[in-house]
Amino acid sequence: MDKANQRFGFLCSLPILVVLGLGFLAPLAVVALYSTMPERVFSLANFPTFEAFRTLVEQSYYKSLLWSLGMAVVATCMLFLLCWPLAYAMAKVFRSFALAITILVVMSLFVSENIRLFGWSLTLMKGGLLEGHARAWFGIGFEGLLYNVPIIVFGLVYVYLPFMLFPLAQGIAMIPDDARQAATDLGASRWQLLIEIDLPLAAPGIAVGSLLTFVLAAGALAESKLLGGQAVIVIADEIETAFTYSQNWPLGSALSVVLIVIIGCLVTYGLARVDLDSIIGRNR
Amino acid sequence: MAATTILKLDGLSKNFGAFQALRNICLEIIEGEFLTIVGPSGSGKTTLIRLLVGMDQPTEGEIRLRGTRIESTPANKRPTCMVFQSLALFPHRTVGQNIEFPLKIRGEPPARRKERACELLELLRLPLEYYGKRIAQCSGGEQQRVALARALAFDPEILFFDEPLSALDYRLRKALEKELKDLHERTGKTFVYITHSLEEAMVMSDRIAIMNAGRFEQIATADQIYARPVSKFVAEFMGEVNLFDISGTDRRGIGSGSLGSKDNLDLGLAGDEVGTLMVRPEFVRRVEGKGSSDFWVRGQLRAEYLLGSRLHYEFDCDDGTTLTVEKLREDRFRCAPGDEFLLGWDLANSHVIRSRG
Amino acid sequence: MGASRSTKLALYAYAALVVAFLYLPLVSVGFASISRARYLTFPIKKYATKWYGSAFASETVMDLLVVSLRIALIVAAVSMTVGFFGALAFARYNWRYRSLFQKVILLPIFFPQAVLGLALLIWFNALGVIPDWKTAVVAHLVWIAPIATLIIAIRAYSFDPALEEAASDMGASTWQILREITIPLLMPGIISAGLFAFLLSWGNFPLSLFTTGADSTLPEWLYAKVVSGYTPLVPTVGVLTVAGSLLLIGIAFAVFHVFKFASSRSA
Repeated sequence: MDKANQRFGFLCSLPILVVLGLGFLAPLAVVALYSTMPERVFSLANFPTFEAFRTLVEQSYYKSLLWSLGMAVVATCMLFLLCWPLAYAMAKVFRSFALAITILVVMSLFVSENIRLFGWSLTLMKGGLLEGHARAWFGIGFEGLLYNVPIIVFGLVYVYLPFMLFPLAQGIAMIPDDARQAATDLGASRWQLLIEIDLPLAAPGIAVGSLLTFVLAAGALAESKLLGGQAVIVIADEIETAFTYSQNWPLGSALSVVLIVIIGCLVTYGLARVDLDSIIGRNR
Repeated sequence: MAATTILKLDGLSKNFGAFQALRNICLEIIEGEFLTIVGPSGSGKTTLIRLLVGMDQPTEGEIRLRGTRIESTPANKRPTCMVFQSLALFPHRTVGQNIEFPLKIRGEPPARRKERACELLELLRLPLEYYGKRIAQCSGGEQQRVALARALAFDPEILFFDEPLSALDYRLRKALEKELKDLHERTGKTFVYITHSLEEAMVMSDRIAIMNAGRFEQIATADQIYARPVSKFVAEFMGEVNLFDISGTDRRGIGSGSLGSKDNLDLGLAGDEVGTLMVRPEFVRRVEGKGSSDFWVRGQLRAEYLLGSRLHYEFDCDDGTTLTVEKLREDRFRCAPGDEFLLGWDLANSHVIRSRG
Repeated sequence: MGASRSTKLALYAYAALVVAFLYLPLVSVGFASISRARYLTFPIKKYATKWYGSAFASETVMDLLVVSLRIALIVAAVSMTVGFFGALAFARYNWRYRSLFQKVILLPIFFPQAVLGLALLIWFNALGVIPDWKTAVVAHLVWIAPIATLIIAIRAYSFDPALEEAASDMGASTWQILREITIPLLMPGIISAGLFAFLLSWGNFPLSLFTTGADSTLPEWLYAKVVSGYTPLVPTVGVLTVAGSLLLIGIAFAVFHVFKFASSRSA
């Protein structure tokens, strides 16, 4: 059986590895190659110069990167605080209601994020759902709430909520009830219960949720475009501009490489510490 | 019974990396017998049955089925079949479809399959309505019978069992043990059963093979193994026992000196030969004085435990060892903890295990 | 764990609030789609369904629908197949590189989609492939096939390997085991993976944006119109897209319940 396990495991992994090799690994390799090319060339047949990386530092592209990472950190922290009570309730308090919440949240994921963000701009703009009704019913008019940094963070929190909620709920569900009961029985306060039992035992879920939201938020594009106007230029926006409008592929690649390296280090570090079998295979 | 060997294991070994799960296993299984392989967990019995069924290949050695080597034949090409510990009933199929599965694989027509499935339901004493039931609707004992019916539908040369009763509660297990023995008699097939429960083995089997650390310690009838174990391990594995290290010259227990005995006893040990004197707790009785039994020991009662129909006593001997005694309720000692007793037993009820090597 | 009554009540209220938060923007889009005015302001004065009429009459919208549908169907079919085998490698077989494989599969999920889309764009260019809806299928698969794998893997974890061994013990070949045991038992997982794959592809925007070339999907068109050249059709098409997803989910639930009903009756 051992030999069969090895062979079937390997064979079954092949189809998806082919997809990822051709659609993930190869593109990243090409991006890495392009980042070493002289600026504004469109072929890989040039002598590598690393010029693009110098431009990236000299022309302060790192500011966009810092904005993106900063907003991603804030959004991740906010999401953790917002999602914890709900994730806890879904895992431990709600029974069939947890399924209803899961279905409702998953269904929102199937709606394109730009439709939902467009909905927020209809809601928050001057003359939108909130301001329009406030003015008509109470006579309180105000400027639109759009086009600033907080609203971009708000957009990130909104779009990536499910990506924090579900891993967190899965992580909390891994906390054995009797461990909590034993801790309470031994005199732990609510706060001590949280620090000593809940957080450490739910750590894999917390790690997966935080990584996922941080990484996706750091590379997000639509939130800043649809809600933020031009309040700040995020890194994904710079990459898009370099690839499309400015036709400077090496610069776009260099920007991507920097972002990918940061994300890659975080994800590799984080995932290496998580036992996926226990998170995903919990429902046996 | 004209004993024909159906399955012969010769020098079977299985290694997992540096770990030797099975070492040089030799065994002849006789056609039509009920053989039980018993051992503590980790003794290698599950590894062994996986080799016998064909779900794993041995590192070394031969398996012969009626003389033909089969050790590298995969499970689906062997005429043997196993009832799994988890039963492995297909949850997406009905009871009937489960029983018919091996027939379907063999390509038998649906009408034949159904006929055979109904016969088997009857043989296993399951109502015919169960044919269309789903597995989840059956109780634990019923699922057990469906698994048996499915294995019998395969019509195997040998039927293997991998602790199929271990998940059931005590009473159901007792009932099914007897049913299984009865089924063995009615079908006349060769049954090879694996368990860690000695009680199960003793109730059902013709022969028992005791396994420890990847090898067989003893293969014999239940009675022989209980009364004449070949090693300390078997003696202790087969239930409560009192053991005394002795030699041909020293009858008083090597290094302890608490054991007293008559002088002219033949223990079957040469002068310098070392061995272990064994006596089961039910043969130890209270004696009036030294010499009124073949062996004797002085002990102080530490505790009395009630085991239902029997009573279990633990005595502290002079040298700090413990002697256990069991009595039927009607023979209960009238005593209190701290009371001193002289306890004795006879050679006829003892057994000497010779030390190996 | 005994949460007190008031705590429970607060948690229910909080859950309702979060769900409301998730759906509030869709309410705005819904209202906007039935506003009569060409330039939208709330509160809406006059309601009209005329934009739905124009949407259905518009050839552009129908083209978008066909492209989106085609991509989503192919992505769903491929994801189910690839995900089925991937899930066996992920959860069923205990092979040497399994934990590495599990982590590799997750990488595309832990990756900003816009950046992935741009990387694919350059890669297709380097290969000399002109992007169209087919390249978008590849792009979607990179993100969606791993998700499908995870969904089927959840099912595969609860799968007892002894079932396959038992079938093999009774003479079934590898192919018979796959057909009789493995596929039927994982079927619920495979179907939900297909459903997820379809819906995620249907609603995907960041990957489509850079990889569809001359073709365009519904979410892409919406984005283009929002950023430049707003038309009153935007909320209408948005609602129609959401309605498409809802319809599919509804059908799936109905089919599931019919099956469940049928199988409980047959027993």
